[in-house]
Amino acid sequence: MGQFLRFAFVRAIMAVVTLIIVSFIVFSLMEMVPGDCAERYLAFKNTQGSGISVADIDAERERLGLNRPFMVRWVSWIWHAFQGDFGESCILRMDISQLLSDKFLISLGIALAALALAYAIALPVGIISATSRSPVLNNTLRLVSYLGLALPNFLLALMIMLFSTMVYGNSLTGLFSPQYRDAPWSWDKFVDFAGHAWLPIFILGWSATAFAIQTVRALMSDEIGKLYVTAARARGVSGWRLLRRYPARHALGPIINSLGFDLNRVFNELPVVALILTLTEAGSLLIEALARSNDQQLAGAIIFLLTGSIVALNFLTDILLALADPRVRHSILGRSA
Amino acid sequence: MAEKTAKIQAAGGVDDKAREAYFTASQGQLIWARFKRNKSAMAGLIVLVTLILAGLFSPFLTPYDPTAAGRDASYQNGAPQIPRMWDENGFSWRPFIYTPERFRSIKTNFRWVTRINKKKRRYMTFLPEGDPYKLFGMTFRTHLFGVDKGKIHLFGTDAAGKDIFSRTFHAINTSLAVGTIGVFLAFFLALIIGGVSGFYGGWIDSALQMFTDAIRTVPAIPLFMALAAFIPPEWSAEARFFFISTILGLIGWPTLARRVRTHLLTERNQEYVLAAKLCGASASHIIRRHLLPSFTSYIIVDLVISFPYMVLSETALSFIGLGLKDPVNSLGVMLQNVTQADVLLNYQWYFIPVIFFIVLVLAFVFVGDGLRDAADPYAETRK
Repeated sequence: MGQFLRFAFVRAIMAVVTLIIVSFIVFSLMEMVPGDCAERYLAFKNTQGSGISVADIDAERERLGLNRPFMVRWVSWIWHAFQGDFGESCILRMDISQLLSDKFLISLGIALAALALAYAIALPVGIISATSRSPVLNNTLRLVSYLGLALPNFLLALMIMLFSTMVYGNSLTGLFSPQYRDAPWSWDKFVDFAGHAWLPIFILGWSATAFAIQTVRALMSDEIGKLYVTAARARGVSGWRLLRRYPARHALGPIINSLGFDLNRVFNELPVVALILTLTEAGSLLIEALARSNDQQLAGAIIFLLTGSIVALNFLTDILLALADPRVRHSILGRSA
Repeated sequence: MAEKTAKIQAAGGVDDKAREAYFTASQGQLIWARFKRNKSAMAGLIVLVTLILAGLFSPFLTPYDPTAAGRDASYQNGAPQIPRMWDENGFSWRPFIYTPERFRSIKTNFRWVTRINKKKRRYMTFLPEGDPYKLFGMTFRTHLFGVDKGKIHLFGTDAAGKDIFSRTFHAINTSLAVGTIGVFLAFFLALIIGGVSGFYGGWIDSALQMFTDAIRTVPAIPLFMALAAFIPPEWSAEARFFFISTILGLIGWPTLARRVRTHLLTERNQEYVLAAKLCGASASHIIRRHLLPSFTSYIIVDLVISFPYMVLSETALSFIGLGLKDPVNSLGVMLQNVTQADVLLNYQWYFIPVIFFIVLVLAFVFVGDGLRDAADPYAETRK
């Protein structure tokens, strides 16, 4: 047990180190962008009609602490970020954590639901296609996975919108009905949300499913030809019981391992899909922050949160893998276990 | 070895010539021979080459300039015009289209309405002189086809009256250019970073791997959206084009670098590398003459496979307005306004270019898959 805790501890430290490196990259990129928060805010005020001067900008810099050296600002940013405080948005003058909390959780929920959907489909289908020799089934699956690659999510979303507008005269956009948009969370609101969220979940799950089927299929076909499967079959185990107890357990490890990167892929697609379907959660907030107002503080916070959730998932899958896979468990705990 | 004997046995009593050709074939010839047998990959290759040529010669193949210079002010948001050879008014050897006429009267509530005048035919002409364009550094005016009066729009026009057919083909060209620059930049970075990491190993490898892994966890598109958003608005379309291509190259390198590293880590312990070292060859000589040739085929496959992702990323960036902008044409730029209800309900021909891009990406995927199978010397024995 002690060894396991030590393993978990080392992994946690590594996750934090990764986050620190990432935060440094994100922060430096946000710094390299021409103009800073003070200029941006005052430029914004200028468009609203109040005159500004160089002295105003300097005073604003002073107030935001932008005149401190780069490293100091980075350390203070990361220190606050780990406590869940991302400072104020450049333009909106609102506390970013407050601005984001609900929206980010909704995005994360949608992304995870899309992943769950992808694997709920991919696991059985992948296993069946790896064991089946039917050319019809295999070719169909190949076609589906090629389409998953070639028809990226945002084009799929556009096509669905085009179709539903032409057929039903309704473009299926948004996440909430108007009466629930600003209401506090309740069961009714959740039902309303689920009624809207299935479309983005399906769209985001689309190419994730195509990828997952290919992975599951490749792993299963590799495992299924191995001797231990033949041995199990010789002992009289067959059918689903055989697949589930032997090759599937082996194939599960790499799949759990790749979940973090799958989440990464879903996050890549999220902003554009969110924009098309006019979902008001983090993805489109990111575009809002970028395309319309050039709000680097907000953009940095969102990217940090997205990466943070991927790192967290990677950490969880590492731990899960150590618990689930006897080979990994053995290598961590040594021979004593 | 197993593969060779299996192949010769499978072929039955082959004559010595074929046998000799097989044993003396270069790696490239072997890959090509295996690739040719894969039907879907060959079909993909034919489509791909056609599309690339269509992209390269797009100024000649399309009748008009794709920018505002070639717009048809009298036919905005116009429906596609399909050439025909006969109608109720008789048959014609030359394909023709009808003339759209704008008119308004009390019947239309004084709004401008476009209607088709079937009496007035526009006959298609071939190799007419039209908008000037540059190809291979020379200026031409001849296009493949046109019409004798007015203009022809096979895929319709957009809100500014620009010809969607012309724009689609120019967009293929742009996407290929963006993809090529992006892929080569990614390849260059991957080769250097993965190469250093894999060749030297040790703590350099660990540090570089940690860095690469950290980069791989950041969702690339949101990050580069953030960067692209801060392009100063006064930049020219060309500057944006190069910047976006560079960004795509920066997205692509970590995966490739990992592959290069893994390959080098296994190859550098092979006997032939040791032999070269013992002969006193320098590190750069070993990398250039021995290690690089050992995995060029893998690298080429990886490049082909990562190409469609570059094209799709560019499309996504441009689509949300953070990538390329007019007058540069790309699929993303062309799709910018399609989410408006007006377009969805009335102008569905805006979506025609999407078909071309799905075909382009699919062709790349098929060719990439075929190449991967063909470049793998064990692919046949495994089956």
